[in-house]
Amino acid sequence: MNLSRREFAKIGCRIVIGATAGTAMIESIATNGIAAENSPKGDYNWKEHYWGYLIDTRKCIGCGRCANACKLENNVPFDEPVYRTWVERYRIVNKGREENVTIDSPNGGINGFTDDIPAEQIKKAFYVPKICNHCENPPCVQVCPVGATYSTEDGVVLVDYNYCIGCRYCIQGCPYGARYFNTEKGTADKCTWCYHRITKGLQPACVEACPVGARVFGDLKDPESPVNKILDKERINVLKPDLGTKPKVYYVGLDREVR
Amino acid sequence: MQPHLKRAFTLLAIAIIGFIAVRALIVPDSFGQNGWYRGDSVFELRNFPVKHAEPVSCGEEDCHKTIYSIWSSAGHKTVNCETCHGPSQEHVNNVRIMPPPANDSRDFCGLCHFKRAARPSGFPQIDPETHGENLKCAYCHNPHKPWFV
Repeated sequence: MNLSRREFAKIGCRIVIGATAGTAMIESIATNGIAAENSPKGDYNWKEHYWGYLIDTRKCIGCGRCANACKLENNVPFDEPVYRTWVERYRIVNKGREENVTIDSPNGGINGFTDDIPAEQIKKAFYVPKICNHCENPPCVQVCPVGATYSTEDGVVLVDYNYCIGCRYCIQGCPYGARYFNTEKGTADKCTWCYHRITKGLQPACVEACPVGARVFGDLKDPESPVNKILDKERINVLKPDLGTKPKVYYVGLDREVR
Repeated sequence: MQPHLKRAFTLLAIAIIGFIAVRALIVPDSFGQNGWYRGDSVFELRNFPVKHAEPVSCGEEDCHKTIYSIWSSAGHKTVNCETCHGPSQEHVNNVRIMPPPANDSRDFCGLCHFKRAARPSGFPQIDPETHGENLKCAYCHNPHKPWFV
């Protein structure tokens, strides 16, 4: 049989369209069946919540109990210098007309801080707890090549440890340095806002451990939540707002030196 | 149909069917269920064991009611049980599993109360060199009901 150019194109198009439609049909049948029985609702409906976090740096005393509790709660390798949350100390030293900023966080603040700069030289000093910002527009999720990190409906950025290939792009991509490589799992790892706790109605371990209430966690969809109450009356800032990542960790009393 | 076209179409069909078959085997069932990720991983993360209980678990059911009522009405009421006593969910589930005793060293109390330049000025702080003669803090101060001089 002699095939004209037109007929060849016709048959080719039919095969391509047929194959695409077939794939789509098989896919939709397969996934719909699972989605129905395995929806993420269960006892906890993630569409009803949108979590937010607030840190009042004016209250923080730098005891490091948050970083300690986080490591214990989430099996973060205790003796490695990796943290899901940590406390930074900013000291602004006045030497004549020059201003000098020292930033340190020995062992994430877990063992506390010692004063190695004489108090009379320090112009101002304060602690800033750091944690994953769970951005609304997360750069780490954009760069993941395998879909192993994602934003949930309730506004938490999570890592799928079974799917992560450990390429570390997300660690490079995070402008806040909130991700680390977990050598025990062989994957990227990060703060989950204690997803296993908040979905059961508990507070994240760091909030629970904070002795001065510098860390506050709550539901942004609930106008009565502790986070919303502070957001309504205090002056709020976020870290690196110019990047457009839309962080959901809000800070009270942030200095211009904090990055 | 010319034989070389037949061969080409057959190969194309095999390639497409093979791709669909391999993809169906490799891609996890729950992938794409809620977005560009494996839907089941949300469940796996939710099922991670809880290690820190909350203070109400300590005070309810007559377990530590006395100390709970003293603590919850005194100056350290913002410091939760497990901040000093460590994660205790295992102990709540099974009272025979005892958490390690709380750290009562000077350095542990000092994590909050040693004088540091970066602390808020109103926070109660002591100079460990001049205060307390190296005695354990609990020798004078009751950690569940602290008093300030």
